[in-house]
Amino acid sequence: MKKVFIIGILLSWANFVCAAEELFFFCGAAVAVPMREIIKNYEKETGVKINVTYSGSGTLLSQMELTKRGDVYLCGSPDYIDIGVRKNLLIKGTDKIVSYLIPAIIVPKENPKNIQKLEDLTKEGVRVGIGNPEAVCLGLYGTELLDDNNLLEKVLPNVVVFAKSCEDTATICVLKKVDAIIGWDVFESWNPKDVKWIKIESKKIPRLSTIPIAIPVFAKDRKLSEDFINYVLSPKKGGKIFKKWGYISDVKKAKKYAPEAKIGGEYKLPEKYFQLIKK
Amino acid sequence: MKNKIFKIFLWAFLISLVLFFLTLIFGLFQQLKITSVQKQFAAGEIFFAIKLTLLTATVSSVIALIFAVPIAYILSRYNFPLKNIVNSILYLPIVISPIALGAMLLIFFNTPVGKFFESNIFRVVFEVPAIILAQFIVIIGLAISLVKSVFDYINPEYELIARTLGVTQSQTFFHVIIPIAKKGILSAFVLVWARAVGEFGASVTLAGATTMKTETMPIAIFLSFASCDIYNTIVLTLISLFIGIIVLYGIHIYAKNRKPPL
Repeated sequence: MKKVFIIGILLSWANFVCAAEELFFFCGAAVAVPMREIIKNYEKETGVKINVTYSGSGTLLSQMELTKRGDVYLCGSPDYIDIGVRKNLLIKGTDKIVSYLIPAIIVPKENPKNIQKLEDLTKEGVRVGIGNPEAVCLGLYGTELLDDNNLLEKVLPNVVVFAKSCEDTATICVLKKVDAIIGWDVFESWNPKDVKWIKIESKKIPRLSTIPIAIPVFAKDRKLSEDFINYVLSPKKGGKIFKKWGYISDVKKAKKYAPEAKIGGEYKLPEKYFQLIKK
Repeated sequence: MKNKIFKIFLWAFLISLVLFFLTLIFGLFQQLKITSVQKQFAAGEIFFAIKLTLLTATVSSVIALIFAVPIAYILSRYNFPLKNIVNSILYLPIVISPIALGAMLLIFFNTPVGKFFESNIFRVVFEVPAIILAQFIVIIGLAISLVKSVFDYINPEYELIARTLGVTQSQTFFHVIIPIAKKGILSAFVLVWARAVGEFGASVTLAGATTMKTETMPIAIFLSFASCDIYNTIVLTLISLFIGIIVLYGIHIYAKNRKPPL
């Protein structure tokens, strides 16, 4: 009996040591819901083990920089790909777009302050939430949206909170702690019973964001990383699941919401933002 | 010889842990040397974060002790029905994760009672009081537990003698028990204050991470890390370490130099 037990332990250890191929995946928490499903399917179909860490895009880059590991990286906005390439953490040119994100006004389902357009956020007594513009991509895109429409000075006094992540920005709206947030279109599909997407006039949207996926310089098996990325991007595999959860994977469809908007690229916070928050 | 081995055994633990902490700090300096500056150091923002952290931690620690002293005294001296259940409830904040505590508070302010409080008394969520409340909830269990151990070590005979000399119960508490427990309470204050200074999860959930409004040092460190700004993360961590060491060392020296009451 004792021998069987010992052999059992040795076999499981051998199995652990000689485990099938595996990938270390740093994944932005904003896509955790569809990604869990995609990973489950991929593991089942290929036998490759995906060790995934969900967190904020910048936090993941910091972890990657300090641990010098990672086979695949997915982030919530293209800015982090630029930072990753600049810091020599990601292989230049390996980034591909998984999905497009459209800036949107998201309100609690009842829309207590009857917000219908961007200008309504300037009304007295409206409590607005945004992501922290210096750390959260959503905050940066939101600030650009307001700045581009000459509303930054008028809306910032109504901003009662900077959330620490995209998901937190969505949560404060679900919990009705604010009357509106500047969020992404997908927030509605995350919580369809609690929040509503108020579409912003297409010409008022200066920029669309993307969810890119890329290969870190630390990738152990680049071919395997590429294989996983292709699975995530495949319309019949990952793409189908993203679509189910309300993500837009087609550029033409995304452009319908904002034909003149730029896609990706960098935006620097204007000096007036710092003056307004008295930094 | 045996005594010597025992002493070496004891010191080995102390030295290895101190060395481990020093290695961690040394690692920060090493990383600082090889990390490039990503964003200009915003002195005004950091100064604000330090001020806010020290202020909120001090206020929440004082409030926590105001609650902890009478509660700990009751738990130490009296038996009452359901005492074990009450004990478990009071110590819950020690075992529950700070993010869960923050979420519980945020949900509470969504209930009719919470909404009434916010609309008729004062706003808490996303404001500075939210940081104080979050820190208070996180440290209160620890405060009660520490102060209770102080009272547990005071012989109840002191109280009996005082009472037989005709002193009232409140006079005994304030003029006999508190002076004896003062040093222990001060140590408890230092520990809960230190815990409040480092509090992140509950504060960020209830107060948000608003620059120049609710951004404490731990939140500033998180935001730097979340922006992939390792350089500023290290600088802010070193500032926090420096402040923490200075304050804790200062308080220890102060406590050491005070004469014991008895």
